[in-house]
Amino acid sequence: MNGFAALFLVSCRLHFRNRMALLYGYLFPLIFLVAFWVLYRHESVPLLRHMGELLTVSILGGACFGLPTSMVSERERGVWRRYRLTPATTWSLVASTVAARYVIILSSGLLQLAVALAVGMTFPEEPLLLFATFSVVAFAFIGLGLVIAMLADTVPAVQALGQCVFLPMLIIGGVAVNLSALPEWAQILSGFFPGRYAVEALQATVSGKGLEGLSFCLMSLTLSGIAGSVAGAKLFRWDAQQKFATRGGKVWLTAVFAAWLAVGGISVWRDQMVAEAKTLASRAAAEAEAAAPRHEWEKITAKDVAALDYHLPPDEGVVAPFAPSDMAPDDYVVEQLTKVRENISTWAPGLAGDDVQRVRTLICVAAVPDSVQQPCEMFIPAIVLDHLQATFPKVKLIQMLTWIAKNPDAGTVVDDVTDIGVGGTADPELVRERAYFYAIKFVARLTGRRDN
Amino acid sequence: MPSQVVVSHFSKRYGAFEAVRSLSFTIEKGEIFGLLGPNGAGKTTTIECLVGLRDPDAGELSVGGLDVRQHPREAKQKIGVALQNPALPDKITAREALKLFGSLYPTRVAPEILLERFSLTEKADLPFDSLSGGQRQRLSLALAFVNNPELVVLDEPTTALDPQSRGEIHAEIARMKADGHTVLLSTHYLEEAERLCDRIAIIARGTIVALGTPAELIARAGVKQSCTVLTTKPLPRGLLTKATGVEGLELEGNTARFQTADPPGTLAGLAALLASERIELVDLHLRKASLEEVFLSLTHTAAPREGLSS
Repeated sequence: MNGFAALFLVSCRLHFRNRMALLYGYLFPLIFLVAFWVLYRHESVPLLRHMGELLTVSILGGACFGLPTSMVSERERGVWRRYRLTPATTWSLVASTVAARYVIILSSGLLQLAVALAVGMTFPEEPLLLFATFSVVAFAFIGLGLVIAMLADTVPAVQALGQCVFLPMLIIGGVAVNLSALPEWAQILSGFFPGRYAVEALQATVSGKGLEGLSFCLMSLTLSGIAGSVAGAKLFRWDAQQKFATRGGKVWLTAVFAAWLAVGGISVWRDQMVAEAKTLASRAAAEAEAAAPRHEWEKITAKDVAALDYHLPPDEGVVAPFAPSDMAPDDYVVEQLTKVRENISTWAPGLAGDDVQRVRTLICVAAVPDSVQQPCEMFIPAIVLDHLQATFPKVKLIQMLTWIAKNPDAGTVVDDVTDIGVGGTADPELVRERAYFYAIKFVARLTGRRDN
Repeated sequence: MPSQVVVSHFSKRYGAFEAVRSLSFTIEKGEIFGLLGPNGAGKTTTIECLVGLRDPDAGELSVGGLDVRQHPREAKQKIGVALQNPALPDKITAREALKLFGSLYPTRVAPEILLERFSLTEKADLPFDSLSGGQRQRLSLALAFVNNPELVVLDEPTTALDPQSRGEIHAEIARMKADGHTVLLSTHYLEEAERLCDRIAIIARGTIVALGTPAELIARAGVKQSCTVLTTKPLPRGLLTKATGVEGLELEGNTARFQTADPPGTLAGLAALLASERIELVDLHLRKASLEEVFLSLTHTAAPREGLSS
């Protein structure tokens, strides 16, 4: 058996002989699991929504406490100093220790999964992806554990440094407290901690969302793992007499911070991009919604407008007369016309209903006097057209008028416009007919087919 | 035949402190070579650089013809080390430890052979933290042999052991020599060095102040012999100081202690004095200088440098 395999096996065996290691490695994660189970007892599938958090806690504990505690303890006892007396290479000894720690963490994760399944959680949707993601997360945190092991001179220092990493990740890093429950600043800050990406990636494989869209999580975890491993290797210490404060190479720590900052920076940038994209998308959707025809009349095109039958009764005739703009009304109708002009904008029926109904009702102000042959009949259409032009955009107005002309029987008509200042009650069918004519006459004037 | 170990003009500093200054010695094959010196003299630094735990600043260090700086892995294959502190995980067994450390070398000795040789067979499967101090030290010696080394380096192997365990370790070291191994022994115990070592280097302030066989060192130092005289009644100080060669006289009741560089002359004068004063002689001890006295005489000016590892 070569040195790598021998040290790997001995490390695993020694772990299972150490009661404190078993307590921290297996019991604590299970306590978290039970706490989550009780806390979220009302969820339909127990723990399914929280396995990402639980597995992350388990990996974090094993990698950021278990690994450095074991390494620093052995360094303090002189075990690593003894290893250095042998011809074994540093990388093979460290790799063997790390491999053993990975297996220990994996066993802890499997135990958690087994207990979760026992209490009713459904089987993970993507077991192979879960295994692969678990390994990537373990790599990221083991790298971090190596750095802690090289920073800490003593086991108590490991505990202190481990808590400095563990607690922030737990509370504001999205590991134990759901991100949606955190204030915005904490959500931004969580992007700088690998714990958030670990939870997201693991949860995706358990819930069956797959890893689509999680490439950034895996990339950031891999980057953290590489940075930690490189810094851990460069800062490696064999001997407890080599204190961190007095040794060189501290610049390698910047690799770890740089990785975290880069990931966090990219995360913030991505979040902004996503937010902007969402804003743009929602704005475009709103515009599209606004642009999309909500009513039939909005589908009216220039072709429809051109297709109207413009062979209408003459303006100076009895049916649908329309006085030319330079024609002065007789004095006895001036007062009537003034009333109509004053009242039309506040006339209640002209304000009721949707736009097309309002236009149809306002056309009736001209159609009813025409139907009942009022002396003012030929002057009122101009007043109505002026009001319509002042109220609606020209294009919309043309569309609505065209639609009314094409659908003369739709909507409702007013057969009495006394309120506005012109007396008499007309036959509704006649009003519809006259309204049809006036609608086309208005279109003809608005489109230049006929002078006002 | 080339020397098994060559240390030539070796120097090592820790910051401003010069732990070892241009140290040179050789160790021949099959020899037990002792390194003696007070705390902070540079013994452990010398050993640590030789076995690859630290990098020397200057000088040549070679084992079996291999420069330990240029060929560290090959040199380590030729060296077996028993550190002062046995340094093993609490729960590892002796068998596991021997198997593990053996696996780190290309050539290895079977754990069972080492367990038997170092009388650990019965304790082979007990965790390290349940072994006694002597058993731990025997395991440490066994670990030094997992690669069947040409050079065995023992760093204060009997420190803090009871006399019985110390005797067992002495027997093992003697057996190493009998088996043809070269041994570099660092120790605080002068009696141990005098008894076991073929040659001794006394180090003080990072440099060798004496080198040779124990007998040569004692003879070279020219230290006076000690004399203890027990009589039936107190000897008169005034008369005794007039005796030939008496120096450093101490009187305590009927016992007188002093040193002399001329034992025959002093003893003749003492006999004449006893006869003239009619005092009966009860007991008399004349003892040649010990290595301890040589050591103290050579190193008394080299006060320990506290707070610094040697």
